[in-house]
Amino acid sequence: MARKAKRDLTMEEQLARGPLDLPFLMLVLLLLGIGLVMLFSASYYTAFRDSTKPVLNNPYYYIQHQAAYAMAGLVGMYIVSRINYQHFRWMAPLALIASIGLLVLCYIPGLNAPINGVRRWLRVFLVAGPTFQPSEIAKVTVVLFFSARLCKRDTEKQLRFTRRTGTGRMLNFLEKIGFLELVPYGVVLVVVLGLVVFEPHVSGALLVAVGAAAVLLVSGISLWWFIGIGGFGAALVGLMYVTTDYVKYKIGIWLDPWGADAQSGGYQFRQGIYSIASGGLLGRGLGQSDQKYGFVPEPENDMIFSIVVEELGLVGAFMILLLFSLLILRGYWLALHARDKFGTLTIVGIITLLAAQVFLNISVITGMIPNTGISLPFFSYGGTALMIQLAEIGMVLSISRQIPAPRKD
Amino acid sequence: MRSKYERGLKQGVKPTAATRGTHSKRSIFRRTLFLMVLCGMVIFIPLGWKLWDIAIVNCEAYQKAAQNQHGLDFVIPAERGKIYDRNSNVMAMSTTVYTLILSPRDLVKSVSNKDEEGNTLSDEVYQAKVAARQDQMVEELMNLIPDLDRQEVEGHVHATKMAYREIKVNIEEEEHKRIQEYIVENKASSYLYQIAGSKRYYPYSGLAAQALGFVNANGGAYGIEAVYNDVLEGTAGRVVTTRTAAGTERYNSYAEYIDAVNGYNITLTIDTTIQSYLEKTLEEGIKDFEVQDGAFAIAMNPKTGAIYGIASSPDFDPNNYGRITNELLSSQLDESAAAIFEKLKASNTENLTDSQLMEKAESQAYSDAVNTQWRNKAIDSRYEPGSVFKAIVLAAALEEGVVSENDHFFCSGEAVVPGYPKPIKCSNTRGHKDQNLAKAVANSCNPAFIEIGKRLGVDTFYDYFEAFGMLENTGIDLPGEASLAGAVWSRDKMSNVDLAVASFGQRFEITPLQMICGFSAVINGGNLVKPYVVQSVSTQDGTVVQNTQPEVVRQVISKQTSQRAADILEQVVATGSGNNGYVAGYRIGGKTGTSEVKTVDLDHYVVSFMGYAPADDPQVIVLLAYDHPKVKEPGSNYGPSGVYISGGNMAAKKAGPLIAQILDYLGIEKTYSTEEAAAADVVMPKVTGLSVTKAEDDLSRVNLRFRTIGEGETVSRQIPAAGTRIPGGSTVILYLGDSAPEASGTVPDVRGMTYENAKNALEKAGFFMRASGASVYYGNTTTAESQSIAGGVAAVTGTVVDVKFFNQVEDGYAG
Repeated sequence: MARKAKRDLTMEEQLARGPLDLPFLMLVLLLLGIGLVMLFSASYYTAFRDSTKPVLNNPYYYIQHQAAYAMAGLVGMYIVSRINYQHFRWMAPLALIASIGLLVLCYIPGLNAPINGVRRWLRVFLVAGPTFQPSEIAKVTVVLFFSARLCKRDTEKQLRFTRRTGTGRMLNFLEKIGFLELVPYGVVLVVVLGLVVFEPHVSGALLVAVGAAAVLLVSGISLWWFIGIGGFGAALVGLMYVTTDYVKYKIGIWLDPWGADAQSGGYQFRQGIYSIASGGLLGRGLGQSDQKYGFVPEPENDMIFSIVVEELGLVGAFMILLLFSLLILRGYWLALHARDKFGTLTIVGIITLLAAQVFLNISVITGMIPNTGISLPFFSYGGTALMIQLAEIGMVLSISRQIPAPRKD
Repeated sequence: MRSKYERGLKQGVKPTAATRGTHSKRSIFRRTLFLMVLCGMVIFIPLGWKLWDIAIVNCEAYQKAAQNQHGLDFVIPAERGKIYDRNSNVMAMSTTVYTLILSPRDLVKSVSNKDEEGNTLSDEVYQAKVAARQDQMVEELMNLIPDLDRQEVEGHVHATKMAYREIKVNIEEEEHKRIQEYIVENKASSYLYQIAGSKRYYPYSGLAAQALGFVNANGGAYGIEAVYNDVLEGTAGRVVTTRTAAGTERYNSYAEYIDAVNGYNITLTIDTTIQSYLEKTLEEGIKDFEVQDGAFAIAMNPKTGAIYGIASSPDFDPNNYGRITNELLSSQLDESAAAIFEKLKASNTENLTDSQLMEKAESQAYSDAVNTQWRNKAIDSRYEPGSVFKAIVLAAALEEGVVSENDHFFCSGEAVVPGYPKPIKCSNTRGHKDQNLAKAVANSCNPAFIEIGKRLGVDTFYDYFEAFGMLENTGIDLPGEASLAGAVWSRDKMSNVDLAVASFGQRFEITPLQMICGFSAVINGGNLVKPYVVQSVSTQDGTVVQNTQPEVVRQVISKQTSQRAADILEQVVATGSGNNGYVAGYRIGGKTGTSEVKTVDLDHYVVSFMGYAPADDPQVIVLLAYDHPKVKEPGSNYGPSGVYISGGNMAAKKAGPLIAQILDYLGIEKTYSTEEAAAADVVMPKVTGLSVTKAEDDLSRVNLRFRTIGEGETVSRQIPAAGTRIPGGSTVILYLGDSAPEASGTVPDVRGMTYENAKNALEKAGFFMRASGASVYYGNTTTAESQSIAGGVAAVTGTVVDVKFFNQVEDGYAG
């Protein structure tokens, strides 16, 4: 596509070529850079000790892969950021259908790539290539789909049914309290969450739900729904605690990670705490963690932040949290300034997802919530997840391009 | 999608004017702002607070726990020093050995309970898989180490609750490598591993076992290993560093290394060769005399106190110190267990069953036996020295001038001591009659020594007793010198009778080591020396850090007195009770001793001999004693083979060749007296072809006599052939003319014959006799005891037959 001269562009096209939001981009790059360094530090011993395929005792295995995916992810991010995000509106339903299709594939033996009987993964080319989690894609497609629909709430007329029949009156009531409006979202959520939960991947489902909830919340859905559904969710967890041994066990570990019952289950958590405590205020220094030498299990994954604290100390950890905070704040700032509601809702969904991941990950490490198995964006190892993450950032950047420049008086 | 869904809801729906998202713009702004504050700031507050709480506020306990788990503080073992003998032969060294450990529990864990697709196996299938793996493990272990006991290995492998089973101990380097290869190849390290340890290795096994001692888990436990444990063991080093979860050491800059300082090497004065002579002599004597309670021997340099050898029987193998190797000891095991059993049964307060009692008795008997074999009788047991002690009384009397060489003593066979109800007997109950001092010593005459003791008096006697070190431990650098409490009378309690019996070495106890030191002082010029076994201590690279200088405790008697005493003592071996210790060519001095151990049971004698050589310049002094030779019948003074039980007949007989061997080994030249020189070997000259007169000249020149057979002027053949070594004074056979010798003849039995008779009998049959054993003053009491070629056996004419003479001496216990 030959580049058109500016004067030949439509208004739309001109807007789409607007400048990227540099502060947001810089924060992303900073976090990504720090994340790669910390990943290398945290992972090289585990990689060195791991004689199984494909690691084969290569201490650089994780960092090489992560760096390669990060590069590809950055390219992908830039490409996504160049797409006029208005196209996402029509893409959203297709993407949702596609991602539901992928989730379904996870259940088909032969096409999925289960690990220990857990069906969260697919291969990129189904039979070959690196694995990825379709739930990662589902998260963003749900956000996109919800945004694309909910941004049009203002223009949607309320429905009115005949008052003569009981059904009609019922429907009128449901429309009035906003239930009917929510039905399609509910259906989509039930389908997606159902597929994800039974992989099983509760934490993935939780994130999908958080992303969807954020979009729904911001779009102006009545708060009572949130209170109601939130209460229902809490009740459900309470019920599961009573009835399901697994949940009871998990929560038991969380409540008493130092107890005798938690001897095996609480090991990872305790090691994380040891790491954080070992770090102290200023940390042991980059690369100097003692805990990463096999004590913290899989320090390159969910537990990476504990190694970060051990090496960089509380100061370093707070700096990273500050960067995350700034990134999130800037994200919401972009949402507030987005050109249209679609942009706003999309950014809110994506950024809330990011914030939720950061919060849940570090909460787990510090023992505020039970272990959920959520990775830390930009830090934890996972090439395809990082690429998807960066693609989401690309969408935010794409939206940021169309923010009108502030008037210069 | 939306419209379809709505169309499907109901026909005829009328959209109202109100939209679903009224005022949504404001609510979007507000709610986004809410999320912004929530997600961008609020959520970080608990995170930050919690991190602060863990990392700063409550960090100490966590940090400690973390340090505990990755702190690595291990000891670098120091290599234990070697022990060398005086010629730098290694007597003890440490080697690294390995123990192979199997964790049967982890072996089970290593079997996956999933199939290849990751599905959980049913319990049955899994159990079968585990069992198969275990069988395979047994096979593999048996292949790897074929000398294992299969049943034992199976037991280990199936002890699935255990995590630590020793499959094999003391694995040496080569096998260790082979096993390690297997472990690596089979990735078996999670359940099979080797741990390094140290093993003390004694190349000479039982040699000088009690002196060396042994090492157990806590370090040196006995002997030199115990006394010099601090010197030998070195200082263990230490590494303080961090480790990985797998337990491997991490190399980082925080690591603190303190090198181990290896133990020092010790060079002993003990000579493995002399030690082996001693032990062999003990063994022979124990066999010959059917000794019941072991034996001991010490060889020492009398001038310096350096111990050349110190042996005690029963002994043991320090490589395997818990095993009873001594035949006598193990044969007595059942007997003593039975005795203990009876005793336990008699006082069975805990109401144990017979089998329990037996078990107790057996373990008691075993530990008694083990303790017995670990004991060094030469140091940690006391004995009555008996007549050997007379040497010290003699020296004291000479020094004090109360006797002289010209004094005569009359022995009627017994002596009356005032205060003692019955007369004290001499060993020769017929009496030695008149004898000069030298003869009295040579005869080991008790009445003579009672007289000498009386002349000394209690006080002077006690002074010398003390001066010769009889009241104190020698201070040797070996452990376990016996306490002397109650062994000797105190000065003010010593009575006439005590003096009388003490004069011939009875009724007080000292250690053998004290005796040899005291005796050394008598003959070495008068110096009481402090005995020692460690000559030097050196670092691993050979730098000597400590060298033992001979230490003279005190001069007890003058040099002249010592010389006089030595001259008299030499006569003991040359002509007296020590006659059986005589070896031609060596001037051996000494004193025999026989004492009774009355407290235990009757007929329990200790026969001993103290010998030193050369008499004019003593290089070695040997004390040899056998404890409890078997008597023929209760109350008898004779052993089962008819030997009169005495130091002279037993200990001296064994000590003579032993001392000769040692002197040979030390390279001390033989010097023959005239009589000895006459009997010394000469080389047969070639006399064939010569005239008889010419031959006579040649033969007389080398001190040979001859007889002729046949007729003629010239010698045609000779027995023996030219160049043969035969004892001087032998009668060779010259054949004249056509007469030819018989090719072989029958050796006559000369046992029981006197010297001359035996010599004649042999020479008549065409053989030559080489005499050994008792001294050349072959009197009528000296008879041939054994011959190298038995009587009645055919041998080549001219063969030299070694004949051992023996002199029955009556120096036995009397009193």
